[in-house]
Amino acid sequence: MKKAFFLLVVVLISTFMLAQVKEVIFWHSYSTASGEYKLLTEEIIPEFEKEHPDIKITEVQVPYDEMRRRLIVSTAAAQYPDVMRMDIIWVPQFADIGVLLPVDEEFPKDFQQIKDDFLPGPLATNYWKGHYYGVPLDTNTRVLLWNREMFEESGLTSPPTNMAEFIKYIKTLTKDTDGDGQIDQWGFADTGFGPWNSMAWIYSFGGQILDPTNSKAKGYVNAPESVEALKTFKDLYNQGYIAPIGGGGIGVLEGYAEGIYAMTFDGPWSWSIIKGQYPDAEINYSLIPAGKGGSKSVVGGEDIVIFNSTKYKEEAWEFVKFLTSKDVQLKFATVGQMPILNGLLDEPEIKEHPFFPVYLKQLETAVPRSPHPAWNEINDILDSAWQNAVIGGVEAQDALDNAAYEIEEILNDYR
Amino acid sequence: MTRKKRRKLVGLLFVLPGLISYFAWTLYPIIKSFIMSLYKWNINPNIPNKFIGLKNYTQLFQDLKFYVALKNTIFYTLITVPGQMIFGFLVALLLNRKMKGQTLFRLLYYLPVITSWVIVSILFQYLFAARGGLVNFLLKDLLHIIQKDVPWLSNPKTAMIPIYTLGIWKGIGWSMLIFLAGLQGIPKQLYEAASLDGANSWQTTTKITLPLMVPTIVFELVMLTIGGFNVFLSVYVMTGGGPMGSTEVLSSYMFKEAFDYFHFGYGSAISVIFFLIVFTIAQIQRKLLAKRSF
Repeated sequence: MKKAFFLLVVVLISTFMLAQVKEVIFWHSYSTASGEYKLLTEEIIPEFEKEHPDIKITEVQVPYDEMRRRLIVSTAAAQYPDVMRMDIIWVPQFADIGVLLPVDEEFPKDFQQIKDDFLPGPLATNYWKGHYYGVPLDTNTRVLLWNREMFEESGLTSPPTNMAEFIKYIKTLTKDTDGDGQIDQWGFADTGFGPWNSMAWIYSFGGQILDPTNSKAKGYVNAPESVEALKTFKDLYNQGYIAPIGGGGIGVLEGYAEGIYAMTFDGPWSWSIIKGQYPDAEINYSLIPAGKGGSKSVVGGEDIVIFNSTKYKEEAWEFVKFLTSKDVQLKFATVGQMPILNGLLDEPEIKEHPFFPVYLKQLETAVPRSPHPAWNEINDILDSAWQNAVIGGVEAQDALDNAAYEIEEILNDYR
Repeated sequence: MTRKKRRKLVGLLFVLPGLISYFAWTLYPIIKSFIMSLYKWNINPNIPNKFIGLKNYTQLFQDLKFYVALKNTIFYTLITVPGQMIFGFLVALLLNRKMKGQTLFRLLYYLPVITSWVIVSILFQYLFAARGGLVNFLLKDLLHIIQKDVPWLSNPKTAMIPIYTLGIWKGIGWSMLIFLAGLQGIPKQLYEAASLDGANSWQTTTKITLPLMVPTIVFELVMLTIGGFNVFLSVYVMTGGGPMGSTEVLSSYMFKEAFDYFHFGYGSAISVIFFLIVFTIAQIQRKLLAKRSF
């Protein structure tokens, strides 16, 4: 009888204590084999829970390819996590259907600070219709990779710093090395025609896709500078100076490492992809060559968002702030995740890193893909426009005029 | 309860699991997507959906991309269904004879059927690669049929060819297996009697085998046509609908509209039209071809 009573007390106390612990569910796509995942689960979450004994973080890993499907199903069933690490281009889309918490409105005081501390490009990816629906968690961009050996073979010593040089070098570095009449070495190669690839060209040329408020395409996507960028790319491609895009075969990074492609643009993952297959390869990073619009590249990465169905707004926000704090961001940098804060260039973790300095420098001017719920459609229209011009033989001006018309139609639905 | 009633009940209980799954996973989604196709559907259940009547359909019938997808789907079916059936039938005839390693060959031909679409699609990307691909190597360097490497997947004119080839290659095994089952169902006495009457192998094939195979052929035709219309993963993986939308098929277009663009109403309209087309074709095929044999 005494024993039973004791047991009852224990049960009561533990349920009482459990009720006090607030469980915050966190979805992410960190690969379980990655260093980021190990750091997150073994160090960062335990540390956060130690600092906040009343909060328990339950992390749920969903592979990236499945995440979108899972999220759509969850939306239809109105079953969300509290916090999620989300691909930056999904944020406006999910904000628009009304499932995300506008964090600038909920936590205005903290948000003032965030605006000062965070890199502007990544932060802008959270913006839709007057509010911020998340904050960046990690970021990346594309910079120029140049093959020093091939440069030296052609009598060049340093990477191009401006567009005129860039175009000249592309031509110089394209060759028929074995004399069979077919080009077998290219000055530049890339993986596609879509905005992820083309935005460095468009924006560095001084062009744009949408206006600064993301509500107008006409006069931006088909501005003279945007047309000039496409025209230049098209001419280089059709004259054979840019390696044929698509069609399978050797990958661009592999081709770069093997000395087939002298230059390409790519993200920070290029390091581990190339080193994984070619441990001795020398990789040289440099800023995107500057044109009329400066040296511009595209912002990639993930944001961290809170779903408005959460029971624990404050707790979720604490976790978000923790993950984006300087200490945690620098820790993540040691396992290869690019930080989203300003002014980290002098920190030892960054300064001594083989390639973060170039990427972080590039990020100061990098442009996000227009944060708009219909970005996926806009993306595909621009992709088609570039393909139509480059491989379909349509005039650059006509292709982009048509894109402007099609994008305007879509933007109309959101006005 | 009378005996008859009880027997009926038992019968019903036996088919009940099948019926339930049919209602839940087939009939309900069809009805639901028809309803969704009449709305500007928002996937967030907390936001009301806007009823727009047939607007999704009127938009669809003016949508050039829809017609490209429809055309590609029809061509895919017209090319891969006969392809799978002809090759499947030939292989079945070969493997129907008594020979060494029969089981091994049947297994080998069936292997592509059970391999993952994603994996073989990636494999075919490599086979049809512009530089260093096996197909270009065979055609250019070995057989000298072509002068220059063909960028199969990045040229809108040739991009469907790898997709057709994969569809046929992957389907031969299934088609073979069904034909094999059909062939083995033909009584041996018929062939014995024919050979006594002096019929040659061409005659036995055309006069005995083929006529008796009509039900099998009809079955395959209907199933493969439905399968052909459902082509999705090979397109999704190999070309993503590109270049320039030239390889978009109905299901990839529907997927894009619904899941990438969040146009669930419009996507549902595509799937309703899709359903009506497949349903009609299957009915016509059954009526036309099955009349004589059953």
